Parts: sequence; C-alpha cells; structure tokens
Amino acid sequence: MTAWALVAAGLLVLVVRRGSLAVALVTGQTLLLAGIALDHAGGGDAAAAGALAARAVGLAALFLVLAARTREPRRVVARVAPLVRAGAAAALALALTWLVPTIGLESRSAERAVLALVAFGIATAATRRATLFQVLGIVLVENGLVLAALELPGASSPAIELGAALDLTLVALVAAVFHDRIFAEFGAGDSAALRTLRD
Amino acid sequence: MTDVQALALAAVAVPALSAPALALAPARAALAAARGAAALTAAAAAALAALALAGRSSRGDWLVVDEPAGLLVAVIAGVGLASVLASPPYLATLGSSLVAGRRRARAYLALLFAFWAVLLAVPLAGNLGAAWLLVEATTAVSAVLVGFSGKPRALEAGWKYLILTSLGLGVALLGIVLLAAGVPGGGLGGLSWDALARYGSGRETAVVAYLLLLAGLAAKIGWAPVHNWLPDAHSEAPPPVSALLSAALLPAVLLVAWRSEHALAPVVGAGTAGGVLVGFGLVSLAVAVPFLWRPLAWKRLLAYSSLEHMGVIALGLGFATPLALAGAAVHVAAHAVAKALGFYAATPLLEHEPRAAGHPVTGVARTEPALGAAMGISLGALAGLPPSPLFASEVLIVASGFRAGRPWAAGAATVLLALGFLGLLHALLETTVGKARRRNASPRGLRGVVALAAVSVVLLLALAAAAVWLPGADVVDSLAGAAS
Repeated sequence: MTAWALVAAGLLVLVVRRGSLAVALVTGQTLLLAGIALDHAGGGDAAAAGALAARAVGLAALFLVLAARTREPRRVVARVAPLVRAGAAAALALALTWLVPTIGLESRSAERAVLALVAFGIATAATRRATLFQVLGIVLVENGLVLAALELPGASSPAIELGAALDLTLVALVAAVFHDRIFAEFGAGDSAALRTLRD
Repeated sequence: MTDVQALALAAVAVPALSAPALALAPARAALAAARGAAALTAAAAAALAALALAGRSSRGDWLVVDEPAGLLVAVIAGVGLASVLASPPYLATLGSSLVAGRRRARAYLALLFAFWAVLLAVPLAGNLGAAWLLVEATTAVSAVLVGFSGKPRALEAGWKYLILTSLGLGVALLGIVLLAAGVPGGGLGGLSWDALARYGSGRETAVVAYLLLLAGLAAKIGWAPVHNWLPDAHSEAPPPVSALLSAALLPAVLLVAWRSEHALAPVVGAGTAGGVLVGFGLVSLAVAVPFLWRPLAWKRLLAYSSLEHMGVIALGLGFATPLALAGAAVHVAAHAVAKALGFYAATPLLEHEPRAAGHPVTGVARTEPALGAAMGISLGALAGLPPSPLFASEVLIVASGFRAGRPWAAGAATVLLALGFLGLLHALLETTVGKARRRNASPRGLRGVVALAAVSVVLLLALAAAAVWLPGADVVDSLAGAAS
C-alpha cells in the first residue's frame, strides 16, 4: 500500500502544473521513504531514515526558496499534454516491468513501484520544459532507487546510503545554482531556451 | 596501514583538503598556493602510480590499488597538474563568471581541486557502490566548472551535462541495486569487485543488471548513443577543465565499466560482457566519424574526437586479449597527452581569434606559428598520424580483434578508423596551413602551451616506443589479470 502511495505521488509530479505542489509531493514521498526506513529494524536503516528526512526537508526548503526567487512571468507550459505524459510514463513503466526480471526485493509490489518511479522520473525530466521539474525528475528516480535499497534483503550499508543522499543533495544544489542563473539570463526557467548548441 | 594505502590516502586527501583551503586563502596567495598543492598532489599520485605499476598492489572491499588504477592515477595526476598550471592564463582572459569578481579565481581553483580529488579517488574505489558515489560526485563538481563562465552557451552545456548524466547514473544505480540483491551477504555494501564475481541470482537477472549498469555509465563516459552532453560540455567548459573532462574523467569512468565487465564476465558470459563493450565502441566510432569530416569549432572538434577515442578504448577492452589491453593502456595515456594539449591550446587560440569559440579556425600556423605547431601536434597525434602512439595502439587493438574471433567488428573498426583519420587529417591541414585571417597578436598563455607541447612530444614519443615494447610484457599480463 505504501509503495503504491509513492507511485501515485510520482505520477502526480508528472502531471501537476504548479511547481510548489510538485515540490510538496516529492517531499511527502521522501518523508514516506524515511518512514519505511524507520519501520525496518536495524541501526543502518535508522541512519538512512535520518538522512532521508534531512534530505526531504533540506531539498524542499531549497526548491521553495528557489521558486520564490525566480517567479515565472508566464507559466512554462510543457510541450506534451498531461494525459499524454502520464500515458507515456505508464507505458515506459510497463515496458520496464516487462523487461527487468525479478529484482529480488522483499515484495513484488515494491519491485514494481521501484520501476514505476524510475520511469516517471525519466518521463518528467524528458517531457517537462521547466528546469525545476527536470530536477524533480532526478529526485523521483533517486527516490525509486532508495525504495529499492530499503527493500533489499540482507544488511544495509549506511556509508552507501548516506553517500547517495549527500550526492543527490549536491546535485540538487548545483541544479539550483544553474536554475537561478538560467532564469537571470533567459528570463524564465525554461529548458526550451537551452537549444542553441547543435551541430 | 601499508605504504601503498597511505599513499592512496595522501593522493586523494591533499587535493581534497586544498579545495577548501584555496577557497579561504588570501586572493594574492591563491595562485601560488594552488601551484604548491598541485605539485604535492602530483608527487603523491606519481609515487602511488609507480608502486602500483611495479606490482605493489592492495585489494580490499573499499580500496583497490593495482596496475589499471596505477595507470589511471598517473594520467589523472599529470593532466590535473597541467590543468592547474594552465589555469592562470584562462582566469586572466575570463570576462564574466558564475562567481563575483574578487572571489572568482579562488572559487575556480577550489572547484578544480575538488574535481581533481574525486577524480583521483574513482580508479581507487574497491567497491561498485563507492565507485558510483564518486562518479556521481564528479558530476556535481564538474557541472559547476562547465558553466563557470556564466555565458548562456556555458549554462546550456552545464545544464544538459547535469541532467543527462544524473539520469544516466540513476539507470546505472538501478543495475547496481539488481546486483546487490544477488551478491553473497546482500546489500549495497557487499559490492566489492571480488563479491560481484560471486553473484548468485541467475544469469538472466545478471545480464539485465549489467546492461543497465553499462547503459548508465555510458551516459557518463560519452559513448554513443547517449553522448549528447559531451560535445557541448567539452566545448563550453574552461579549457583546463575540458582537458580534465576528456583526458581524465572519461577513462576513469571507463575503468569502472571495465572492472564491472571483468567481475561479471563469469556470470553473464565473457562473450556477452565483452560484446556490449564492442557494441558501444563501434556505435561511438560510427557516430563520431561524420563529425570529424565537418568544419567544426576547435574545442567541438576535440570533443567529437573524444567520442571516437572512447569508442576505440571500448573496443580494446571488449576484445580483451593481452594485445588489445596493451593497446588500450597506451591509448588511454596517449589520448590524455594529445587531447589535453589540444584543449590547453584553446586559451591562447580564443584570444588570438575570438571567433574560434563558435567557428572553425584556419591557417593558425601562418599567423601564430608556435600556437599552430602545438595544435598540429595535438591533432596529428589524435588522428593517429605515425609516429603517434595512437596509431600503434589502434593497430594493436584492431589486430587483436581479428585474433579474438571478432573479424566483423575489427573490420568495421578498421574502416571507421581510416575514415576518421582522413577527416582529422583534413582538419589538421586546414587548421594549421589553411587560409589565414587577420588576428590579435601575442595571446596570453602561449609560452605555457609551447612548454607543454615540448613535454607532450617527449611523452608521445615515449608512448610510441612503449607501444612497441608492451605486447608480451609482464605488465600487460598484470593488467589482464588485475580486475579478474
């Protein structure tokens, strides 16, 4: 049930219009993952839960400050309609489920949720023009992989999990710097403006 | 802690600690401090590389020092040192940047050292999970450097690089999670290179995991068809950073792919594991060659040449005979020397001919002979013009493809390499002795580039000699056995 709540949040990120709503959805999703980590026994997962909660709150604050600093004069409209985006993402998720054999996680529904979140993240980054949404697509992919790491049988590795959280935070920070400068340079956080380099 | 482990720690720790120190250093002292820290880093890394190549190895769950790591550490140390030395002329010509004027040089140097530190750690990672973390960290640091000038084109290149490689590494992590579920003991912490060989959840899952891992890493290595960020990032980054990206980052990630291939070959089958590398190699060559025939801006031409050379190295690793590995080893080192020189030459070139940022240049040797000579040496070596060591390494790799029972792949590579050679030869003639334009005289940084060109010629000739000596040498057998 929790796994499907994570998937529903991912699908909503793909289709919602408002950036702040998408940030809230991704934050809720990450906090849910922290809850799953806490629910698992063992010190490693407690460390993972702490890292996830800190990442959720930190990235939410960063993205909301960024959205407030760079208010779009006009809404950046994606080239692909929301229903088409959702359909394409669902098709990619089904294809991944068909192509990838049993992963070996503790439940089959968790495996499907992992693949769906990866597909939704890739679809978000590929079909949304707003730079903020493209970064949220990367966070969605990473959240799917965090779910996979939490549902892996056997011992977890706090070093790897904390490192992954730190890496994603670094990438998000760098993306925030770029979003800010792209907005200042082009007047909008719109990746469609970034199409001059071609051969 | 053994002396090898202590040196490995020092080689990574010195640049890692230098990064924040340079950010906080007084502005006047920053450049001198950077030179000192770079010399110290290069000395530690060179000592480590010498011990590793002499067979003094160390192999654990988190740290591995062996011959392939030694080769890469030597390359990264050399290119890193040269990039630090080549940075002052770039900073002197920098008009705008992401960072405000007074802090600009210190911020740039701090980022450069942070990138260098993570790069040095990548070949030493003894664990696939740790290697992934380090590769992801290189993305965050180097993306800022790619967009450092703050110009619209640099922002575009940096953004594409950040998003595409992060997504690619996400796909690679999915492959790693699949592998983690099947290694003894389970969990991401058990992904040491030795443990991967004991993967026990069936061949079908291992093949899918391997494909996801390689496809994800390919996005970072710049293998076609997931190379779209590469020409943009390499052409828009500061020249010293472009040198590190092309000559050090791409082969460092390639080493991670190769270690994964070696570790998983017993599970997925040696033919399948090597075949994936050969496939990426051929597609990269096929995509790169048409661009080598087109008139392109200097740094963009070098970027497409990187795509071609990463394809050649992939072929060598995929063929996997001792002869092919000897060729791949020479190719990694020679490509680093020639490509780095080409990128360093871009700083005086852009001052000599500002139009060169977005347009092909012709007749540079007519207006600035020393600069034209440096560019000619770089492009001639990259084209594989004898006595370039890249000619010898390509011959070794292609010949080993026929011996390894992959005649179609070796034949296709021969044709593509010949076409690439002709394209680059044409570019070499046009760039150096083509029609000249009126240009600015005495560009900054030219003396440094001339000195680097002299050092590069010596290194390239030494590597050409090594390419003749390496087949059959003990060090090649060690390279072949190191990751297995």
